[in-house]
Amino acid sequence: MEIIEKRENLTAIFQLNGRLDSNTSPEFDEKITSAIENGTNFIVVDCKTLDYITSAGLRILNKTAKKLKKVDGKIVLCSMEDYVKEVFEISGFDTFLPIVTDLEKALEKLKT
Amino acid sequence: MGQLTLKLRNSLEEIDRLFENVQSFGEAHCLSRKQAFQLHLVIEELFTNIISYAYQDGKEHWITINISCDNGQLTVGTEDDGIPFNPAATKKPNLSGPVEDRKIGGLGIHICKEMMSSMKYKRVKNKNILTLTKTLPPAG
Repeated sequence: MEIIEKRENLTAIFQLNGRLDSNTSPEFDEKITSAIENGTNFIVVDCKTLDYITSAGLRILNKTAKKLKKVDGKIVLCSMEDYVKEVFEISGFDTFLPIVTDLEKALEKLKT
Repeated sequence: MGQLTLKLRNSLEEIDRLFENVQSFGEAHCLSRKQAFQLHLVIEELFTNIISYAYQDGKEHWITINISCDNGQLTVGTEDDGIPFNPAATKKPNLSGPVEDRKIGGLGIHICKEMMSSMKYKRVKNKNILTLTKTLPPAG
């Protein structure tokens, strides 16, 4: 798992490369938590190269969405493979996590 | 008929080995990317659930995972000597409402039930034995 963190103005973009599972979720948790603690309220998770996600990965996104809601922040996910998206749908996560087709739309969505 | 039996220690360190073996099984049995993804997910959720909740003695235990694919019938089985636990009897988690009301507990089992068609549990002697099946659509 490789996590690439980029900045675009006040937004942090996390590009996940590989598998987000029980072994790799703690690292993602650390990075995303540290971004929020440092004042980032707007987050995009780019899933273009995310091969795989388990409930351990969902747990981090659930926790992040809860934290951001408290500070009027926002999180948007983008560029997901269909079968990855299905995991979000089965878990009912697509109802509180916006999932859009590409990075550009994700950045637009944060402004709305 | 293809079959794979894996014996894994109750440690997250086994996940990479698990992943590689399931990957090879998927390739050998011509599973599509989506089918292989779902198989990985189901097995990993079952395995991490066992190592997180089945043992309270802090000792090393062995968990057996069986996968078979026969005439389009995919079967996944797990066997552990942990405390009695029947995942098939667990309730569906809350899947709607605002994020504040969502809990993550039980989601892994729910995902397994959704990805497979059946889940059966039995306790035999000191073992939890779980069997999940799914009929795969014909390759084409």
